[in-house]
This record gives sequence, structure tokens and C-alpha cells, in this order.
Amino acid sequence: MKLFRLMKLKMNSWAILSFLITIIIMMPILFITFEFFTRSSENWEHINEYLLNSYLFNTLLILFFTGLLTVFIGVSMAWFISAYDFPLRGFFKWGLILPLAIPPYIGAYTYNGILNYTGVIQSILRNFYQIEVNQKYFNIMSIPGAIFIFSVFLFPYVYLITKNFLENQSASLVENARLLGSNSFEIFFRIVIPISRASIVAGVSLVILEVLNDYGVVKYFGIQTLSTAIFQTWFGMADLGSAIKLSGILMMIVVVILMAEKWLRGRKKYSYSNSKVRPLKPVKLTGYKAWAIFAYISAVFLLSFFIPFIQLVKWTFTTYKQVLSDEFIGLIWNSTFVAFTAAAVIVVIALIIANFSRLFEGRVTNLVSKIVVLGYSIPGAVIAIGVLTLFIALDRQLLIFYQLIGLTPSLVLSLSLSMLIFAFVIRFMAIGYNSIETGFDKIGTTFTEASRTLGMTVTQTFFKVDLKMIKGAVAGGFILVFIEILKELPLTLILQPFNFYTLATKAFQYAGDERIQEAASASILIILISGVSIYIFHKVLEKEPG
Amino acid sequence: MFVQLKNVSFHYKNTKELTIQNFSLAIEKGEIVSILGKSGSGKSTILRLIAGLEIPFSGSIHINESIMADDKQFIQPEKRGVGMVFQDYALFPHMTVAENIKFGLKKMSRIQKKERLDEVLALVGLKEYVKRYPYELSGGQQQRVALARAIAPNPSVLLFDEPFSNLDAELQIKIRDELRTILKQTGITSIFVTHDKMDARALADRVVVMEEGTIFRVGEPAEVLNNEFTMSPVPV
Repeated sequence: MKLFRLMKLKMNSWAILSFLITIIIMMPILFITFEFFTRSSENWEHINEYLLNSYLFNTLLILFFTGLLTVFIGVSMAWFISAYDFPLRGFFKWGLILPLAIPPYIGAYTYNGILNYTGVIQSILRNFYQIEVNQKYFNIMSIPGAIFIFSVFLFPYVYLITKNFLENQSASLVENARLLGSNSFEIFFRIVIPISRASIVAGVSLVILEVLNDYGVVKYFGIQTLSTAIFQTWFGMADLGSAIKLSGILMMIVVVILMAEKWLRGRKKYSYSNSKVRPLKPVKLTGYKAWAIFAYISAVFLLSFFIPFIQLVKWTFTTYKQVLSDEFIGLIWNSTFVAFTAAAVIVVIALIIANFSRLFEGRVTNLVSKIVVLGYSIPGAVIAIGVLTLFIALDRQLLIFYQLIGLTPSLVLSLSLSMLIFAFVIRFMAIGYNSIETGFDKIGTTFTEASRTLGMTVTQTFFKVDLKMIKGAVAGGFILVFIEILKELPLTLILQPFNFYTLATKAFQYAGDERIQEAASASILIILISGVSIYIFHKVLEKEPG
Repeated sequence: MFVQLKNVSFHYKNTKELTIQNFSLAIEKGEIVSILGKSGSGKSTILRLIAGLEIPFSGSIHINESIMADDKQFIQPEKRGVGMVFQDYALFPHMTVAENIKFGLKKMSRIQKKERLDEVLALVGLKEYVKRYPYELSGGQQQRVALARAIAPNPSVLLFDEPFSNLDAELQIKIRDELRTILKQTGITSIFVTHDKMDARALADRVVVMEEGTIFRVGEPAEVLNNEFTMSPVPV
């Protein structure tokens, strides 16, 4: 009786909507899991026997060294910035986040354009100094090259999380170690690294998920990895079965990584909101030490942002006349349209589920909110294959209906933009959801309760009180999702309808056609818009404590 | 009896321990009851149960002879006609004083709403402040707006959760006396929760002392509060 009453109390329209949405969001992944075990494919044996090992080896090799390098760069930057004062520290503190505005695939073709035979370095050497270099040393299109690209453009994830931790949480430990007479090296290796383990792990797992999601860099460099293999089996061989199997394997790597993250992080959270935050006071450095650190950080900044950015600006100036046409306006429209639609859907869904899970706390609601954000750790190619499988199956089911209303093509949904937008919703839900959840956390539940004792239902309260109070978080979430979608590549490449291009996919196509300079305008636009996103995220949404 | 709780038990989701154990209390119409207890004694939970913000684990709650909650039924907070003044007032920051107070007035014409607004504003003495936003008011003024907002829809019961905890000592005494006058003037049945014996003594017709989720003592303020018992010392 009691259970029945509880169920009746909790089964309101918010709950029903939330469950429905969750199921729909889970469908593609469930499809992959199911088909992974059941579907056979003719090419799979061949792939499994001859190719899979090298796909796996390349993927893991890139993951391992990128992880190592990003930890090295990210942690050292974080420590220098938070513990020492040196020339331009204030600038670098923010400047070192900027590389995140450059998607690695754009970085990849920009660097290739800088280093190749016609690029700025070789031209200068040839024309002014008559030096012909050995092309071998200037070829970035290799596995080490990919590791370099990923490391310089993704290290800010490690830097940011570790820096925030060190700045706000480490003061007493570090100061005590100083008082006990430890020198800088001892402090770094015996105090800083161990205490920031959880933050480092959190940062590097973001890096690894980004690398697993990447298709642009490895494809452009011609490296065979799991994600390029998924594309090849689908586009080259139209072999959905093998693509699903490869996606399943990629998913397993993700699961292992998420489990490893949990285990390595231990029970520590990488940021605990402590009201008594005491910032670490940086020590002023002078003389050669100050300049050595300055030189190291400048070098990283130049490589990871300044040089590629300036190169793209220069190319934009030389090519914008050819590029800026109606077609370019069309690209901007396409990108804006899909990003706007998907971001709007995401915000609405996130509002429904976040409100449901905060008002009806419990194990089930907890699970719902965890499932909804799962998509962010799943590589774009995997989501794309899952969505594709689902939509093709849907089209088969709807075939009779299509014939009834007189549509001739057998594939309607799976050739439409709705498929792409659905995939975006799954992949980027976490960004919108987290932003809105933070908004709800900040206002708490008292206002809602006050409204209900004044005679408003949950839904009336939502529109009159809750929504108005968190509109900042809603807008923030919308913008972050919008921008993330604008620069998205792998999902869009697989799921974009025929003859439909976005800024990102067109830039990538130009680069692939050896027209790197023409890719610059779209790339610069993407970088500038991403810059706005970074600014909003760090200045507006996460107000720095202390 | 106007408000009646019978054998109410309750526990929060993440604990197995009962926050409220077999709690029974009957309150007459127009009575002002204060629930006194240390933090963690479950006194605020009683208010939340009466308001319908928590669902009792067992037992029943009646207000004005209708069932609010028992084993079979549960009336949602918005249907109960219970007003509540929250500890931190919970004034909607995006609404003016007038909008806050009119928020709970439904099924009224615009003129009726305006009349009711003027009435309650006069009651709490804040007529000049209608157009201000909550953050433009002092703590004492916010408190009074919260009271006006809760009274406006004519609730059958009014609940106060530590109403004076955010006010300084001098203001506390002033507002306390005003509050008693207002409550007696309107005749609303009121229950307020406090940890301060002076509040309880100054306001209540009857005092309920709670410890560990059950009633430790009930009676008139003088008789309950003058006896020695295991409570924290009276704050000066």
C-alpha cells in the first residue's frame, strides 16, 4: 500500500518525461551493445586477423605518450603559475588556457602547413639562406607528430584542474614544507605531485577521452587508429557490422579508462568546496630562475597557441577573398542552425531532468542523471555508428508508413538532419546538464518549497520561480553547447546529410584537399568563437574563489 | 482539534534512524504553539511534515478535519492552505515586494489582489516598500515581507521556521512582540520552531519541547520553561 502510494506520488509528468528521454538517449548505445554480440559481418575476420592489432597498438601508443606529455607540461605549468611570481605571470595564467580554443585537427593542418615544403620555415631557409632541408625532419604527419599535436593543444585540461587545486587547496601543506626546509624540487616531487594526484588524473582522463574522440588529426596524418578504422569500414566498405564491432572495442577502452580514473583518483574529489579557501601565495623569483621559467612557459605558449594562431591569421588575409562567398555564408548558416537547434533541445531536456532529479532525490533519479551525461565520454564515431544503426532500423520499421503517404525513398530519417541533431544531443548533453545542475545547486530548494506552500504546483513553480532564477546558468549552458557543436568534427562527418557541410567539416575537407590556406577563414572563426566559450566558462560560470 | 498529528514517524532518505518517532500533537484553532529544541531534535522536520514538504513514513496528519497525510493519501503542499515563513525568508529575488506578496494570491481579480496587498502591507507596516526588491531591504524588513507573503493567501495554519535567527538581538525582541500582536489580531493558528527559550516564552500559548524526534515536555510557557530540565542554558 505504502509503496503504491509512494509510486503514485512520484509518477508525475516530470518523472515520466525524464524516464522517456533517458530511454531514448540510451537507445543508440544499447543498440551497439546488442549488435556487437549478434551481428556478423564478412569483413570482420579479415580486420580482426590482420588489422585490429595495429589499430589498437597505434591508438594505445598515442594515448600513452599524449597522457605522459600532457601530465608533464600541465603539472609543471600549474606548479610554476601557482607557486612562483615571474615576468608576465598574470598573462600566462589565462594565456595557457587559450590552446583549448584550437581544436587539435585545426592545429594539425596548421602545423603541417608551417612545416611542409611550401611552408613558411622551409621557404625562408630556401629563399634567404639557400638551405634545402631533409624532408624527413620536417614531416609532422606521423605518430610522434600526432602526439605532439594532441599534447600542445590538450595539456590545458591538466593544467587548469591542477592549477585550481594547487592555488586553492595546497597552501598550508606547501608552506609547511617550506618552513621545514624542503627545497623546491623536494616540494614538487614529495608534496605537490602526491597531493594533486586526483586532479592530475581528472585532467589527463579528459585528455584521453578527447584523443579517443579525435578523428581529424589521425585521419589527416594518415595514422590507422580505431576511429579511422570505424570511418573506413563504414564509408569505404559500407560494412556497418564491422563498424559496430570496432565501436564496441573503442567503448571498452573508454570503460577501462573511466574505471582506471575512478580507481586512481581514490575517494578524493579533485575539488572540494571548502569555504575556508586560502590561496597559495606565489614566491617572487628573480634572476636566472625567473627567466628560465619565463622561457619555458613562453615556449609552450608560442607552440600551443601563438604560432598556429598567427599563421592562420596570415592565411586568412591571403585567402579570404576567394573563400568569403555565398558558400561561406551558407556554411555559417548550416553550422549555426544545427548548433542552435541541438543546443536548444539539450537545454530543454537538461532542465527537465535536472529539475526532476533535484526535487525527487533517490537512487533512480541519481541513475537517470548519470545516464544522461554518459555521452560525453563516448567517442563521437561510436555515437555516430549507434545513431546510424538506430535510424536505419527505424526507417525499416517505418517503411510501410512511408509507402502509405507516398514517399518513394526507403531511407527518410537516416538521410535527414534529425539524425545529426539527435547525435549532438547525446554527445553534448553533459555540458548543458552540468551547467544547469550547477544553477539549481546554487539556488537550492527553499524557493521552490516557498512557492509550493504559496499554492503553486511543481510545474507552475518551475516556470514562475526556478527557471527565472537560473536563467544565467541556462544561457551559459546553451552557449557552451552551441560552441562545442560548432567545432565538432567526427560526428558531423559521419552523419551530415549529402551535400551538407559545416564550418568544421568544410575546413577539414579543404585541408584534406591540400588547400590548407583556404581552411584558415573557417578555422579562425571557430577559434574566435571557442575563445568566447572559454571566457564565459572561466570568467562567468566558475567565479574564482579567493 | 484544528491541527492533529497522530503517531507520525519519519526518516530522511539517506538514514535509517527515525528523525521523528511516534509524534502526536493536537493544536486548537487560533492557538500559537512553539516547538523548542536543540538542532537535530527534529523540530523543523515537524513543520516540513505539516506543510507537506516531506512524506511521513507512518501515522497521520489532519488539518481542519481533512486528511493531509495517512497511509493512503497525501495532499500536495500547494493544496494544503498552509503558510510558511522560512528561516532565510526565501523571498523571490527576481520579484518586487508587491510581486512576492501577490505570488500566492490566485483566483482573485486584479483589484482584489491589490486590496489584499494593501491590507497585509498595512499589517506589517511596509506600505512604502512595495516596489523594492528583496535585496534592497534590511533583514527585519525582509522578515516582515516574508510574513506578509505567507499571510496574504489566508492560510489556515501558519508555520515559522526559526523566524528570528537572522536578526540581531534588539530587532528580535521588537519583531517578536509585533508578531504576537499580528498573529492574535488575525487569529491564525500558528506553529513556530525555535531553539531560543525567550522566543518561546514571549510568543507562545503552549510550548512543546522536543528531543530526539519525540515530545519531551508540553505545557504552558511558564510551567514548562521555569522548571529545570535537560536543555541548553537560556541564552542571555
